[in-house]
Amino acid sequence: MDSLRTRVDTVAEGDNPLGRLLTPPGILLVPMSVLLLCMFVGPMLAIVVFSFQTGNSIALNPLEWSIATYEEVIGGMVTGSGVYGDVLVNTVAVSITTTAFTLVVSYPAAYALAHKITRYKLVFLMILIIPLFTSVNIRVFGWALFLVQNGVLESIVNLFGVREYASLMYMRSTIILGTTYIYLPFMLFPIYLSMLSIEETTLEAAKDLGASRTTLFRRILLPLSKPGIIIGSLFVFVLSLGANVEAEILGGGSIFTMASNIQYSFGYSQNWPLGSTQAVALLLITVVAGIVILRTIDLQEIASRGE
Amino acid sequence: MSTDTATRLGDRLGSGVWYGYVALVALFLMTPLVSLVIASFYDGRFFSIVDYEFTFGWYEAALTSGSIRSALTNTLYISIPVTILSTIIGTAAAIAYTRYDFPYREQFKLFALLPIFFPLILLGLGMSMWSSQIDLGYGIVPSIIGELVWISPIVMFVVSITALGIDPNIEEAAKDLGADTVTLYRKVLLPLISDGVVSGAIFAFVLSWNNYYIVSYLSGPQSTITTWIHGRMTQGFTPVVPAVASLIFYVSILLVVGAAVLEYRAADDE
Repeated sequence: MDSLRTRVDTVAEGDNPLGRLLTPPGILLVPMSVLLLCMFVGPMLAIVVFSFQTGNSIALNPLEWSIATYEEVIGGMVTGSGVYGDVLVNTVAVSITTTAFTLVVSYPAAYALAHKITRYKLVFLMILIIPLFTSVNIRVFGWALFLVQNGVLESIVNLFGVREYASLMYMRSTIILGTTYIYLPFMLFPIYLSMLSIEETTLEAAKDLGASRTTLFRRILLPLSKPGIIIGSLFVFVLSLGANVEAEILGGGSIFTMASNIQYSFGYSQNWPLGSTQAVALLLITVVAGIVILRTIDLQEIASRGE
Repeated sequence: MSTDTATRLGDRLGSGVWYGYVALVALFLMTPLVSLVIASFYDGRFFSIVDYEFTFGWYEAALTSGSIRSALTNTLYISIPVTILSTIIGTAAAIAYTRYDFPYREQFKLFALLPIFFPLILLGLGMSMWSSQIDLGYGIVPSIIGELVWISPIVMFVVSITALGIDPNIEEAAKDLGADTVTLYRKVLLPLISDGVVSGAIFAFVLSWNNYYIVSYLSGPQSTITTWIHGRMTQGFTPVVPAVASLIFYVSILLVVGAAVLEYRAADDE
């Protein structure tokens, strides 16, 4: 054992590249890098490559390249012919509405959690975090059970003597309810973390100096919680672009979004190039948003704030 | 004196409003989960609270059904390796990022944490195409590798936050006192970050246990518990589905509460 240790340490001091790879930090970086190169970069390249293929090919043909699917999708979006115009409008509408709703609901809650709630804080945080760790499927199914005819909501309404219950399922607004629900924690927690960085003394000082509630909000809370708002909004916007289960179960196919259209191209119509072309758009938006989020997040700061 | 009580009353009212609002948000977040649990105990085809009859029948049906059992086994065959491997991969990357200096360190962090922000449908379908091109195929093993891509970065994130809270001088001190690399890891570094690693591992298990999008693209003919639920859910109301979904939810809730208690205790010790 001792000889092994000395060997490990001598290798560490050596300058040959293999030795450097076998000692920290090299050896610690290898598993993650290999995993992501093989199963993250590869798949994303596959999406891009397939988007330039022709017809219904599911095997790669290196000799035939085409931008036909791009012409179809982008052309459809520009002229509004076919489904693509509607899909674009629906998707952007769902994502923007979801982002706005989650922001409006989360902001006061994040402020309260960071500065007003002292008792039962852990219980509240637990309740807010648990949905994040429950399958999207299960939560959406729960909403369906709540809203459906003969469901929980109807039973509650019946208890109060209301007999006329119009099912709330399969509507545009139900999809928004679902996405707002699913992505709420992704808005709440970034804002909560940025609210935690605002010192109680700063707020007290501002109040003592005679700042009104609006001034306090405009001049202190809003600027200091801005990173949280940016991160949360990008997070919700991008993730809700990929929302599919919500539209499928709660919307019952009443509207087509980009995610359901992609799913359809891959599943039902088996048209990989067409699905890939739409996925490329999603991929580009995601990469840009992801990099912006990661540049804004300061891990060191989150660590120092940990309770 | 009287103005003092008035402000105190005002303060209390104010904080009551904040508590009420957060409680409302919490209620909103719990609505579908509570509905699920209520439905799972309901005896009958058409749901109604008025003539609600309590039964354990659907849980029994769920636990004795062969197809549910095999879905459950498949889920465990995926979740357990994913938990172990993602904890190792994520912790290693977190230690490298937080405790060492190396070229392109920030770029590595950016690249390694990027999958967290990807919509899972995008990861899933890319992996599905890639898998068929490189002849990896579909089933348990591809599902494990696929989930690792999303979950290892999350473990790295959780462990990094713990590791960044540790004074870098501790390692210098250990080295000065003559600790070699192995001792440094075994006696100093790993014990200090163990809280983060345990939370990371629990999160990894729960996320894998509940994953739907990635397995739905990669599991092929094997059904897991989430793909089973999805399949049944689209076919209308079968009372056994809420029971199965509730069982999955109970396991998740226990583990997440356990992780939170661990974290809370660790924070209390300091």
